[in-house]
Amino acid sequence: MTTTQERILLLTEACSHHEIQQWTGAITAHDLHTWVISELGSNMALDAFLAHGPLQSKAIAPPCILHIVSGNTAHAAFQSIIRGLLIGSHNVVKLPSAGLAKLTNALKHFPSALRELIEIRSSLEDQDWSRADVIIAIGSDESIAAIHQHTKPHQIFIPHSHKVSIGLVYDDFEAAAIHAARDVSLYNQRGCLSLHAIYVAGDSERFADLLAIEMGKFSQSNPAESLTASEAGAIRNLRESTRFRSSNDPEFRLLESSDSLDWTVIHDPSTLLELSCLNRCVYVKPLPSELNTAKLGPEAEHLSTIAIHPFTQENAVSLEHLPAHRICPLGQSQQPSLFWHHDGFAPLASLVKWKDIG
Amino acid sequence: MVQAVNGKPISDTEFNTLAMLVFSHQYQNNKPYQNFCNAIGTTPEQIVHWHDIPALPTDAFKADALPLITFPKEDVQKTFLTSGTTTETKGQHHFPSTDLYDQSIINAWHELKLPEPTNAIFLIPHPEHSPHSSLSHMMGVIAQHITQGSSWATDESGSLNLEKIINAIKDNQPVALFGTALSFLHLFDLIDSPLQLAPGSWAMETGGYKGTRHQLSKSELYQRFETKLGLPSDCIVNEYSMTELSSQFYSRGLDQAHQGPSWTRTRVIDPLTNTDAKPGELGHLVIYDLANLHSVMAVSTQDLATQDLANQDQTNLEVSAPCFNLIGRDPTALPRGCSRSSDETLSR
Repeated sequence: MTTTQERILLLTEACSHHEIQQWTGAITAHDLHTWVISELGSNMALDAFLAHGPLQSKAIAPPCILHIVSGNTAHAAFQSIIRGLLIGSHNVVKLPSAGLAKLTNALKHFPSALRELIEIRSSLEDQDWSRADVIIAIGSDESIAAIHQHTKPHQIFIPHSHKVSIGLVYDDFEAAAIHAARDVSLYNQRGCLSLHAIYVAGDSERFADLLAIEMGKFSQSNPAESLTASEAGAIRNLRESTRFRSSNDPEFRLLESSDSLDWTVIHDPSTLLELSCLNRCVYVKPLPSELNTAKLGPEAEHLSTIAIHPFTQENAVSLEHLPAHRICPLGQSQQPSLFWHHDGFAPLASLVKWKDIG
Repeated sequence: MVQAVNGKPISDTEFNTLAMLVFSHQYQNNKPYQNFCNAIGTTPEQIVHWHDIPALPTDAFKADALPLITFPKEDVQKTFLTSGTTTETKGQHHFPSTDLYDQSIINAWHELKLPEPTNAIFLIPHPEHSPHSSLSHMMGVIAQHITQGSSWATDESGSLNLEKIINAIKDNQPVALFGTALSFLHLFDLIDSPLQLAPGSWAMETGGYKGTRHQLSKSELYQRFETKLGLPSDCIVNEYSMTELSSQFYSRGLDQAHQGPSWTRTRVIDPLTNTDAKPGELGHLVIYDLANLHSVMAVSTQDLATQDLANQDQTNLEVSAPCFNLIGRDPTALPRGCSRSSDETLSR
């Protein structure tokens, strides 16, 4: 049994490796200490009984966490595993059917003391389900529902289902376009934090032009991953559908990389939030005077992050009524803080239970 | 055009001539399509081969304000809608009459030498109960023009009535069962012991498991046909079409290519290069359907297929009838966010 301090040092060492850091970001020991304190009240909460009102209480990490991860990106899987390791749980990781090489390759660089706390599975046996104290599921709504049916009442279930993110631009279009291009393009738009649409106050068509320029620049410096035939087909279908609309409605515009499927910007006058087909395809839409779920449509309930520019406290708080759990500066949608409440869950506090004395 | 699908099989030369005429007609009379063609710089004067007729994606049929019709909107007599949830935008295919549509169904049946059943049992809603379903309409045409006797084994809500099916097979006469793959799965769930169908019976299944969690492969589905109905795979016909078309494609048994009538042609396009996929290589199916006279004849789908050149030479038609191996709905066909997936399969 290691202490929190020991695990923090091991995790800091692991996250200093470039192959891991690309998924976790730079994490210092101080960050991890502060994170534990902010969630559990003390960085000793998992190691000793500490004063808690008239009682003394100790946080008890679940002996075993089952992480069922999706294949979209490795980020969410890394975040989930690091949370489990930090509190000292054993972690069983169920990979998607196609595997997740980026995760399994990077895990080889973890110190052995941490690797011993991780078991990788390509399929789950009954005992994997029954021994889990916490089940964290990352996947489609349908997958989450199916996994939930396996859970028992005593097991903590933390679902991370289908999510989508958007950007909002109020002013300063030139800078906003640079930030938006980054948030749209990184990781080929495959994550929950990837932007599918940018809502623009003012001349949204002008912003679409600027974004197209920046998407092209980003693509040159950060070429997209190669596409499967299916992904290419989805982009072509989106482009031709949009071409049909734009040929009949001048407010629809299709801006696309020529002779390639590298990036696509669609100016669409509707405020309804539509999902992109991914792989650097993004909608630009006019920002309605009052942005609400009715204007956004049914996809609004899946909002994860709203990235805004310029980022001000006032702008951010004005969006509090929307279902998103995170409002951040445009350009940073793909780099959530270690401290973020992933889909509204306190990532460490929601894993532990407490034991009281007194 | 009605005569074009009402006579003998259409040769390649005839198809090309007719396709050019249909394209010209649609370009002149279907304004949204004309605008699309102009936007990509393709007009009837510029092309000589049906390959080059601009294809519209099926999503174009969802643009409510841009009806894809070659006739005045007030003359719409029939509209078929794509299936989908209440929140999804549905594709619309309008017709001034279904005469040509019906002739396409009937003539393809004969041209492709499909079996003509004496007793048909339909596991899908009657067209009166589902007036916007192209599939129900098709079954109605089959019931009226192709089968000698027919019964509908669903109630107004579309629920299967097992008793009607048992009554329909009790005379021990060969029957033909028509339904979606999903309706057959529901039937299989309803029956504990296998139904005893008379020798000579067969089934036609279509579509997939839209909006459900079923992920059955075709071979698994056909195995259940054998277990539950005693029908081997070569007694099962698969029908493939979609709301946006006016013709159908058929295959029989497992691992067999789909074949369409002589007034259709298909291409399989490699989406990475936007050119014809090499034989045997996966691509998206583009369908050219002369019977789609009143909308657009060239429709690009998001269904995955390979071009089947081997079988194309072995067809019983003296023309280059289209043959393709259908793989199914492209899993990435629907837009998706993080981790989103869908059970959408073949749409109809």
